Order: sequence, then C-alpha cells, then structure tokens
Amino acid sequence: MNGGSSTIPVAGPPRDATLPAPVERVLDNGLRVVAFSLRNLPLVAAQLVVGCGGAAEREDEAGLAALVAALLTQGTTTHGAMEIAAATDALGARLVAASGYDASIVSASATTPAFPQVFALLEDVVRRPAFAPHEVDRVRTKSISDLALTYASPTALARNVAHRVAYGGAPYGHPLAGTAQTLAALTRERVAWFHERFYRPDDAALVIGGDLEIDEAFALAQRVLGSWRAPAASIGERPHGEIPPPRSRVVIVDKPDAGRTALLAGRVTIERRSPDYYPATVATAVLSGYSGRLNQEIRVKRGLSYGAGVSLAARRQRGTFFSTTLVDHTRAAEATAVTLATIRSLAESPASDDDLVTRKATVTGAFFRAIETIDGIAGALAEHVLYDVPLAEVGDYTHRVLDVDAQAVRAFAADGLVPDNFVVLVGDASKFADEVKRAHDDVRVIPHDRLDLGSPTLGG
Amino acid sequence: MKRKPVTALPTISASAIGVAPIRYADHTLPNGLRAILVADRRVPSVAINVAYRVGGKDDPPGRSGFAHLFEHLMFKGTSRTAPETMDRLTEDVGGYNNAFTSEDITNYYEVVPSNHLERLLWAEADRLASLTVNEANFATERDVVIGEYDQRVLAEPYGMLDELVNREAYAVHPYRRGVIGSPAELNAASLDDVVAFHATYYRPDNAVLVVAGDLDPDETMAMIERWFGPIPTPSGAIPRVHAIEPPQTAERTYEYRAANVPLAAAEEAYHIPEAAHPDAAALDVLETLLGSGRSSRFYTSLVYDKQVATNAYAAADLREQPGLFGVRVTCARGVALADARAALEQELERVRTEPPDELEMERVRTQIASSVVRSRQTHSGVALELVRAITERGDPELVNGDLTRYLAVTGDDVMRVARTYLRPENRTAVEYLPALPQAQDEQ
Repeated sequence: MNGGSSTIPVAGPPRDATLPAPVERVLDNGLRVVAFSLRNLPLVAAQLVVGCGGAAEREDEAGLAALVAALLTQGTTTHGAMEIAAATDALGARLVAASGYDASIVSASATTPAFPQVFALLEDVVRRPAFAPHEVDRVRTKSISDLALTYASPTALARNVAHRVAYGGAPYGHPLAGTAQTLAALTRERVAWFHERFYRPDDAALVIGGDLEIDEAFALAQRVLGSWRAPAASIGERPHGEIPPPRSRVVIVDKPDAGRTALLAGRVTIERRSPDYYPATVATAVLSGYSGRLNQEIRVKRGLSYGAGVSLAARRQRGTFFSTTLVDHTRAAEATAVTLATIRSLAESPASDDDLVTRKATVTGAFFRAIETIDGIAGALAEHVLYDVPLAEVGDYTHRVLDVDAQAVRAFAADGLVPDNFVVLVGDASKFADEVKRAHDDVRVIPHDRLDLGSPTLGG
Repeated sequence: MKRKPVTALPTISASAIGVAPIRYADHTLPNGLRAILVADRRVPSVAINVAYRVGGKDDPPGRSGFAHLFEHLMFKGTSRTAPETMDRLTEDVGGYNNAFTSEDITNYYEVVPSNHLERLLWAEADRLASLTVNEANFATERDVVIGEYDQRVLAEPYGMLDELVNREAYAVHPYRRGVIGSPAELNAASLDDVVAFHATYYRPDNAVLVVAGDLDPDETMAMIERWFGPIPTPSGAIPRVHAIEPPQTAERTYEYRAANVPLAAAEEAYHIPEAAHPDAAALDVLETLLGSGRSSRFYTSLVYDKQVATNAYAAADLREQPGLFGVRVTCARGVALADARAALEQELERVRTEPPDELEMERVRTQIASSVVRSRQTHSGVALELVRAITERGDPELVNGDLTRYLAVTGDDVMRVARTYLRPENRTAVEYLPALPQAQDEQ
C-alpha cells in the first residue's frame, strides 16, 4: 500500500513576498506619520507609538506607565469608560492601550467603514483621558488582584525575577506591572503628570495603513491629530541606567506548591539599533523553534519538558536573551545543565553556513507570517519607528537575515550570548537546590513569600 | 476650560461590513477523500489542513487520551521518511506545522511557501498510507504526552478545570473523558493499539483535506489525485459514537481544591445541542453578548460595576454532538466565590427574562461580523473555518451562510435559547478553590 512514488517531489521556484512600501511625513506639531496602503481586505489599522514607557518611571512608582495606559480607555472628558467600551464594540473595532519598557502604544483597528470613527476615539483617549478618581481606584485594585495570578505562575514569575537579576536597579529591572506596594502608592496626580509629560506629538509616531490610499491616511492623521500640541515642559533625558555587567549566578525562588519548575537562563544582550541585531536574531534562531538546538536537547532527545523556547528582546538600551522551559522539579538541575551547555554550543560547536540555511528560513518565514495581517504590518513598522531603525530595513529584512553567515553568528554568540549566563529557577527547591548548588558557586535561594520584586536585590 | 462638545457615540451597521464569500472547489476522490481548495493569491503561501474524523470521544475503552497520543506518533516517520520529516519540510523552508486533537477531530496542518505545496501533499499522503511506529519512539512520545499533561493540567493554575467540567457535566457520553486523558490509561496503551487505531480511523474516506492560499485549483487537484488517489479504502465500517447523554434533571455541583489557586474560580456548564442545530447561531450570539469585549454584560456588571470578578467570560462550545455552554468567573481578590456566582446568576436571569434591545443586538452582530473579517485575513484561518464546517456540521457551504444566520438572530431568539438551555437543572458547576491549610499539611 502506498501513495504513489517513493520520492518526494521537488519544490518549484519561490514567489517573492512583498511588503507595501511605507511613506513618511512629519506633521507641523512634530508627529511623525508612517502610512502604507494594502487594499486587498477591508481592514485599516493604526498604532500610535509614544516614546516613553515603564523605563521612564521611578523605582518606587513601578507600574505607573502601565496604569496610565490602562486608564486611557477608562474615560475621557467627553466619554465615560463604558461609553468607550460600547462604542468600540459597536464599531466591531479594537482599541487597546498598553505600555512596555520603552514605549506606550495605543492601537486601533477596524473594518474600513468603521475605521474613521475608532480613529477619532483613539484621538480622544490619547489627548483627553479623565483619570477619574474612581477609575484610578478601580484599575489599581484590579491590577493588584491580577498580580496574584502572575505570582502563582512559575513561568510569569521567573520572567519578572530574571529582569531583576539582569538589571538590578537599572530601568528595565523593575516589574512593568508594578508590585502591590508601588501600585497602592500611585495617585491620580502622578498618573496625570506622567500623561502630561510623556504623551506628546513631538515624541510620538503614528503608523497607519491598510485599506485606504496613502494620501487619505495622511489627511486623516492631519485632520484628527494635527491640532495636538506638545506641552512647554521639555521631555527631559531618556532614562539611561548603568546596566550591571553579566554575571554567572543562579537565583532560586522556592515555591513548594508549584506544579513544575520554571527554568530561565539568560543574559543582557544588545540594543535594537546594534549592527549585531541580525547576527543576534539568527543566533537565537539556531537555538529556538521546534528543531532548534534547545528543544532538540530538552524535549526531543531527553523528554525533559513539553517544549523549550528562546527569545531575543532587543530594546532602546541593551535588551534580553531568554531561554525558558518548564520541567519536573526533580529534573530541574539536569535541565539547567543541558540548557547552559546548549547555549555554550553556539561557540563550541558553531552552526555551519549549511546549518544556517534552515534556521534563517525560520526567521524569514515568521516575518512573512507576521506581515500577513494589517495589524502585523503596522506592528513591524511601529517597531522600526520606535527604535529609530531606518524604515527601508523593513522591506530589506529578508536580505539582511540571509546575509548573516556562520562566522558572524559564532562571533556574536561567543561574545554576546554565551558567557556569564544567569539562571532563574522557580519551583519546589527541596527537590533540586542541593544538586544545583553542587554544580554552581553562586546560588541564592529565596522563599516565595519573602520575594520582593520591588527591591533591586529581590528582598528575601 | 476648553471642552470638546459631547458627541453621539459612534456606531456602524453590521450589514455595512463587506464579507466576501469564500469560493472553493470541492471534489471527492473515488477512495472517499474529500478535498476543498481555496485560491487566494495575496500572499505566496499555502495552508494545508488534513482533518481526520476521530477525536477524544473516539478513544478506545480504557485508553483515554489515545487519539491525542496517536496524533504525536504521526510525526515519527514512515517507511519512506525519517522522524520529524514534517519539520524538515516546513520549518526548514520558513513554514510551520502542527496538529491538534479536539473531542471530534484530529487536524494536521502546515503553512509553507506556495512553491512547497506538492511536497507537503506528498508527505501527508505518505503518513496516511504508511505510518511506521516502533517501541522506542512510541515510548518516548508517550512520555512527551504525559509531560504535556503535567505541564498543562497539573502545573498551570486552574489547569484541571476543563477536565473537571467535561467529567462532571457528562454522565454517559464519552465527551466526559476529555481529550488529554489520564497518565494511567496512556501508560496502559501498547503498540498494538497504535496499529489498530491507524487501520480503523486513518483512511481516505475518514479524512478531509483543505488547502487555502496561493494555488491553482486544477493543478492542485491533480497533485491530490496523484498522491492520495492510489491509497486504498478498507472495506469495514468506521466505528462511530452513538451514546446519547440523557437529559440532566438536577443541578450538579463539584468542589475541587488544589494548591496554587491564587483566586477562587468557577465554571458553570449547561448542555446545549450539536453544532448543526438551528439554535447554534443564537448560542454564538449569546456568547458574544455575555462575554466578548468590554461592553459585554459580564465585563460591565461583574468586572466593572460590581468588581467581584477579575475576569468572566462565556463560551458556546459547540461540537459535532451535543456540547456545553460554559460561563466562567475568576473572583477579584478578597471576594467570596458565592458572591461572584450570585452576580453571574443575576446576569443569566436577566437574559432569560428580557430580550436584549435592538441597539445591543446590533452591537453584537457588528462584533461578530468584524471578527469574521479578521479571522479570514490568513490562509490558515480560512482553512480551519472550512475544516470545522465540514467536520462539525457536514457542509463547507455553511461558511458562506453563517453571517446571514448571525444577522438574523433577534433579541427574542437570544432570550429563548438562554431560557431553554441556561436552566439551573441543566447546570453543572465546578468550583475551583484554594487548598485548605490543613489539607496542605497532610500532603
């Protein structure tokens, strides 16, 4: 019984995927506008990128940028929170505001006939949020409630701990969502101050595109956001803290009720604007994905976990390289050794140019899938805008990835990914801490109930 | 103070949203394989889905979780290919592949650059015709599946909730076993079970092939005939589940306590009819009205106004055979579960007793129409929509009538289905609570 020939057919010539060319203008108020037109589906998207996020907040105000973003859609001087929710849903639209370390992004998308109206709502929430005291109280209380879910998840907690281990008291160290203590201390006045200071056209960019002409997009941007004015006060210096040098160490959070142990190994790596961005992306791809080295070692060869992931988050300052997996407590020490050895393999048994062909394909393929949707194109452009990467690089992304060779990957990995990895383990320490201590010199165990993410040194 | 004049709230009519019909070729091979092709050349990639009509409900007796375990084995190679060949054919050229097992189907899918389409059709035909599994990769993969169980069910906060809902809501129907199964029954499975299962369910007349994307329908149909055509169809009948769940006559409540439950939660599940039932559209509309978006009734009442919940949502889990309408609430910090459930019940009582007004209905219709447009942006979204229409409801053309059906649902229809199905005696409640302190000491 067979399905025909025993030899697999060969692939034909590929068709090139193309990205609509973005066009850029700056409005009189300083707002940078990037527009694109793609008229094959009745959808339009916009992302307003405000150039400040959690990195701009003080240690004792952790969570402020996130709270501001969450409150934008919770009422303006013209519409209440529930009116905005009802209008967004009645338009079948999405209107979302969120804050990361480097930026706060307000995005809107809708079907073509509904877009102008949701774009007007975006303008309203960005320029005239009311920050009504009862809304501040409500969102703050809900944020504190949601923290309970984060602290219960070993994986989510490991990420927060890893930021502290990597950055200490530098701007990317504190948790973006804040802590129960910092959230409780935030006032309406501080929320309004952050908004007044940082939400301004001269430090923002609008990406807009989809089912409309470029000229229509610019006209819409001018009509809706052209009268937005920057405050007189200067935005001040960008936050720029001293990032501690990478250090090989292990931090264990003892959480006896965790179902499995979250294992995160990582390192501070590069800025998004670094010339090493593409070698770093390809090096990460050698480890990541189902057939990447880490999943092969962790899942396929050893069955240590259902899966292992690797990610690169290059930021305005040097960002992170994280590898993550979830393992049985009793095998956490073994998985730690396997993970660190696999990261080291980037330098010790580097990928050849032939190996890289397939790993680079995973990068370009993921990029093409991301730009299959209007929101995805807007997101890719927004990332380039945020980090001042020339827009031409979006259209050139594939070639830049394909140009990376084995020598570039090895050289970058040996210096920028391999040495001095830290490890964070969140799980039942009684089942693995002794074994980990035998293999590592610098091991610290913090009981779950004494962990303080508000402290650069994690309390305990 | 300068103030923008208060303007009327924006709105749009659902009927203003243009949703183009999905045009497809539909052809059944002599061996029974049904192939559906959608040509859409916007992006040079294709999505290939092969769905087999076998899922968790079809697990052999004493082998719960077997259909899902089997799904994993389909990646372990054939007489002509090495294990992980699917990854070589997809990941290595910038695509991806995966599979899922639901209660009703096992769906294998790939997205690849369109010049690789025929290679994937060859590989899918190959593993349908000649799966090879040995003791070694069988044992490894079983460990991976048990690892998946540990990770998703045991380790995740609330991970056991779905399993408990199915188990408690169904008394007779095999839907009660869920999909992931139990480690004990997975460990009892043998290589003989694997061979028998492949022979029973993996045959052309039990499969649906949907390909959407950058393709030429005639060329692609010729490829399908070339690679799938020669695969013979066995003569025996395919076993089907005929169990009928008896009507529930009294409310059931099940209390579950576990470590690592930060906030108490509950799911209430109500029996509803099968996906092909005329009430299905109204149940989908009810789901959106209750739980989708910040203007939904649950968010407005439980999360925003009363602040008794940190989240609350509804899901019409429509299946090939009678499914469940689930409403789930996670308490806000410091709120007793009884209070959150009372607020939930108030909302259910409201929708049982008064029809939503036309303004609210139009909002819900627009939400649904817009989500259809969004999900059709990707080839994989279109392909999966067709797979589900065929396997759950028996007809691909239903994808082109769904929007009309949603737009025709009235407020009275919504009240009627709420009254018909969301009755207390038709309800199974699973309460998911933190472990008691003394219980923790005993462990």
